Amino acid sequence: MKLKTIAAAGALSLLLCGPALAARDYISIVGSSTVYPFATVVAEQFGKTTGYKTPKIESTGSGGGFKLFCGGVGINHPDITNASRAIKSSEMEKCAENGVNDIVEVKIGYDGIVLAHSKSVAPLKLTRQEIFLALAKDVPDPKNPGKIIPNPYKTWNEINSNLPPTKIEVLGPPPTSGTRDAFVELAMETGADSFDVIKAMKKTDKEGYKALSQTVREDGAYVEAGENDNLIVQKLQANPAAVGIFGFSFLDQNSDVIQGSFIEDMPPTFEAIADGSYPVSRPLYFYVKKAHVDVIPGMKGYLDEFTSEKAWGEDGYLADKGLIPMPAAERKQYHENVAALKTLEMK
Amino acid sequence: MFSYITPCVLLLSIAAYYLGTRRANSIAAASGGMKELHSLPTHYGVFTAICSAAPALIIFALWIFFEDKIISVLVTRSLPADLQQLSANELTLVLNEVKNIAYGGFGAGHSGEAVQAAAKTYNLLSEFASNLVAGLVIVACIVPGCIAYKKITKDLRARNIVETTGMAFLICCSGVAILTTLGIVLSVLFEAIRFFQSVPLTDFIFGLDWSPQTAMRVDQAGSSGAFGAVPVFAGTLLIAVIAMMVAIPIGLLSAIYLSEYASPTFRTWAKPILEILAGIPTVVYGFFAALTVAPLIRDLGSATGFTVSSESALAAGLVMGIMIIPFVSSLSDDVIHAVPQSMRDGSFGLGATHFETIRYVVIPAALPGIVGSILLAVSRAIGETMIVVMAAGLSANLSFNPLSAVTTVTVQIVTLLVGDQEFDSPKTLAAFALGLLLFVFTLLLNVIALRVVRKYREQYE
Amino acid sequence: MTNLLEPGPKLRRRYRAEKIFKRMGLSAIIASLCFVFFLFYTIISDGYSAFTQTYIEIEVSFNKDLFTDANISKADFPGLVKKSLLKMFPEVTKRQDKKLLYSLISPSAAYTMQELVEETPKLIGTTQKIWVLADDDVDMLIKGKYQRDVPESNRRLKDLQLKWIDRLTAEGMLEKKFNTTFFTSGDSREPELAGILGAAKGSLLTLLITLSLSFPIGVAAAVYLEEFAPANRWTDIIEVNINNLAAVPSIIFGLLGLAIFINFWGLPRSTPIVGGLVLTLMTLPTIIIAGRASLKSVPPSIREAALGIGASKMQTVTHHVLPLALPGMLTGTIIGMAQALGETAPLLMIGMVAFIVDVPGSFTDPSAVLPVQIYLWADSPERAFTEKTSAAIMILLAFLIAMNSLAVFLRKKFEIKW
Repeated sequence: MKLKTIAAAGALSLLLCGPALAARDYISIVGSSTVYPFATVVAEQFGKTTGYKTPKIESTGSGGGFKLFCGGVGINHPDITNASRAIKSSEMEKCAENGVNDIVEVKIGYDGIVLAHSKSVAPLKLTRQEIFLALAKDVPDPKNPGKIIPNPYKTWNEINSNLPPTKIEVLGPPPTSGTRDAFVELAMETGADSFDVIKAMKKTDKEGYKALSQTVREDGAYVEAGENDNLIVQKLQANPAAVGIFGFSFLDQNSDVIQGSFIEDMPPTFEAIADGSYPVSRPLYFYVKKAHVDVIPGMKGYLDEFTSEKAWGEDGYLADKGLIPMPAAERKQYHENVAALKTLEMK
Repeated sequence: MFSYITPCVLLLSIAAYYLGTRRANSIAAASGGMKELHSLPTHYGVFTAICSAAPALIIFALWIFFEDKIISVLVTRSLPADLQQLSANELTLVLNEVKNIAYGGFGAGHSGEAVQAAAKTYNLLSEFASNLVAGLVIVACIVPGCIAYKKITKDLRARNIVETTGMAFLICCSGVAILTTLGIVLSVLFEAIRFFQSVPLTDFIFGLDWSPQTAMRVDQAGSSGAFGAVPVFAGTLLIAVIAMMVAIPIGLLSAIYLSEYASPTFRTWAKPILEILAGIPTVVYGFFAALTVAPLIRDLGSATGFTVSSESALAAGLVMGIMIIPFVSSLSDDVIHAVPQSMRDGSFGLGATHFETIRYVVIPAALPGIVGSILLAVSRAIGETMIVVMAAGLSANLSFNPLSAVTTVTVQIVTLLVGDQEFDSPKTLAAFALGLLLFVFTLLLNVIALRVVRKYREQYE
Repeated sequence: MTNLLEPGPKLRRRYRAEKIFKRMGLSAIIASLCFVFFLFYTIISDGYSAFTQTYIEIEVSFNKDLFTDANISKADFPGLVKKSLLKMFPEVTKRQDKKLLYSLISPSAAYTMQELVEETPKLIGTTQKIWVLADDDVDMLIKGKYQRDVPESNRRLKDLQLKWIDRLTAEGMLEKKFNTTFFTSGDSREPELAGILGAAKGSLLTLLITLSLSFPIGVAAAVYLEEFAPANRWTDIIEVNINNLAAVPSIIFGLLGLAIFINFWGLPRSTPIVGGLVLTLMTLPTIIIAGRASLKSVPPSIREAALGIGASKMQTVTHHVLPLALPGMLTGTIIGMAQALGETAPLLMIGMVAFIVDVPGSFTDPSAVLPVQIYLWADSPERAFTEKTSAAIMILLAFLIAMNSLAVFLRKKFEIKW
């Protein structure tokens, strides 16, 4: 009996010895899986070269990141959220509701969205109209262009006879992802605009237009593959017929096994995205809670590291990871914004 | 700072134990031998030790629990008025900085004087408080110990007191199981109820569309937001059925072979190796299913002219089946062993071959137990997470084709909850509703299985 | 009249059925054994190469004028590495080629220099030959995981780089060495820098909490249920409950942890303390069930003898039954711990999937655990992580096998046949 009591007391005391819940002395970052590889590299560099703790980064998708970020001010809420799209005004409002008023926006560079597939087949050559036809939930009837019908296309060659006769199977991100938002806006909406019926709706029926041009089919041709872009790469490698949607950096890292499809006759290359001739590219951002900058240790240092030339410059280590740098003037401007902690205006 | 308190209490209670024992011994010696005492001397020792340690530990535990809150309130009071007026959340930030500076870690560098002062106050307060508590705890240790020591007489029913305390501890510990179940039910049920307020129960259980990734914002077009759980459960069942089609024959045949035919040496070698399968972490199976088995099946499929999805239910099910083999085999092994030898001997005596004995005597006798073990294995297959997260799909197709991609309950829970913890959208709450359904379903399976196994065991005892 | 010595057609059929059945049983076992070996073979053949890592020797001159600032960490170490490389390959002048050259060496080379100089400031002003980590692409090439004979555009390493690598190899300045980094550092985005120490430490802290809570509670509950509990409705409920909990999917425990420990109690996310609590609840039923089984195996005669000479019920249990049952309980606990060590799903729910570089130092530091690290690495884009994943799996399996063998050993050593 006594032995056990002592053992139990010992075990209990061991447990209670630990410090009372310590203060948070590290930066907490959430957000986009596209920015995640860049943010982690900066975080690691920051942790190794300064005395501060390495920031903790969770990959939650841009939308999920904003939700957490806008949850409020305080140590239980993240300090920074990464995003592969700009913050929406609805999200700003949500932030303001919870007392997050001062947000600093930092644009870090560009990323192309690629439709990639296995190297074992010839590269797809798509237009944005074809992408829309392949992925939208409802499309104009090919026989009667005035009528909207549920998407009838099952194989690529039903859309355009020059395309291969394989099943349409696209692995892409869920709506939490900024990649999805940007893809829908840049590729599908533009593709939808090429139909007069839909374009006409833009003026008359804004809601209907949005639903038509942005809703992705749910009949199995578009597979929501989560935020784990790397697993998609491996699945593409295994299945030459499947096409994956993700950021250019993943294509860059895996360029020996997968290749990007041509969009509007432009291949997704570093140069084409940097000069804007590849049509589906978007800027990447992170957002900082100003209220946290002075109270969480290391915030200033992390911001300095991220916006330094050796990180995001043309020869910086982020470019090696596949980030497409901004022009020098833009970099300078954002660097100054960060140094001055210039906050976003409510639109 | 606190690290010396618990060892102190421990030392004091050990001292109390020896003192108590000694006093009991001397009382016994004085009043004419050990038999005069109500309890053994060690009982008096333990009694004194419990009396001194218990109040001290309770005070200490309370302090650990409330320390942060008390000191925070006091420090907040010491802050200048303009800082005190901040919202509760902003205050946590200020306090965080105060603590960071107080612990001598990195401040953010340019904190105001008020914060520096508060950090000093914090340090002073926590030092004072911890000294106070240390004193309190030690007093709470010594005083009741002394009282207990004084109370020791030859008539004190020390054994009863000690044993009642011990029993109370044992009962509390077995109550943890109940608390866990209660915790599960409550945590899942409340969120699930909130979910069913926005999505009707019938839609959830009978709906044929599962597309939970609703728009995150008003100006976004997400999925339609359908919450019909049928395709999700169909997918779960499909994968579980495939897994069982692998696990039942192989597991059962292995169990029969091992218990009826195998030589003892073969058994001692083969059984542990089989059990390795049960010990391999599921994340390893997941890695293996996604990177080795799924491509293999896909290549095989395309070589024979089938179109196989790269996240086919077959790959996940196959690997899961392999994982479950040892569950089926070791449980069935036990039940087959429990069949009395006399029944086999009777069958052999009638001239049956070994196979016939197994088929007509052993298996029918062991059947309820085997069914029970299979049901347990099914519940394990339904609740398995990592294999399907890594190897199965995310889109809910209502399909029974093992070559197509389906999703499962556990995959949906993980994708709905990882990273995103907003507790008001039906999307996140749906994960809890699925969790509830999963819990109820496996609970039913387990109850039936355990009842069957128990009933069967009693039959031959 | 049939000949009794000569089996008739019916008997032959029965014998054949017997033989077929026996073979089926044997092949079922062989199939599962084959699978065990296949799994181990794929993982080991993928992962063994991660235990070596490619290093490149570079000659660095620590010029005095680089270290003008009193603070050594302010010096331009990356520039130093680049300068040394250029000195080794003076023919490289074009900007594009320089970039290719720099990418042969891991970015960690600069940290290595920094550490060296900070440790022995005397190095300043001297020229040293230093082995630094090669980039993961070079490493993959040396280990034969990249093919050389594919067209240049399909390769991560260009022709020029291959030429340099061949030259370095020929001059003995490029070597594979034992990969100590893998065992001494935390997670990293650079595969050549990634290690499992952080995850292993996180697992250790988590298991410490699990062990120190679940062992005493589990033993106490088992003792109560087996030895003291009156046969009434409550006991029955507790019993059914424990058996059910043992079979509840582990992910449900994660939901419990998320809702109660994190959202209700406000414990910090991604920390060993929450992980340990969740795993405690998960392993308790295993320990209780094993504990009861081993209490049950103590023969009643022992209890009767103790009671017969006047021991109380509690004394019988603590002095006689429990010591005899303890080895069995320990075995059950070790198996429960092994289960907890390999568990991933509930930890995903409580935010343990995060990028955490620092090795955790306390129960409230954010940390990963081994299986979660495996899950994270399996997701990383760099190809070199595949072998790291397999290597981490090998380490995890080694721990598990060691724990289970310990359990078997204990069982064998202390098993008493009554």
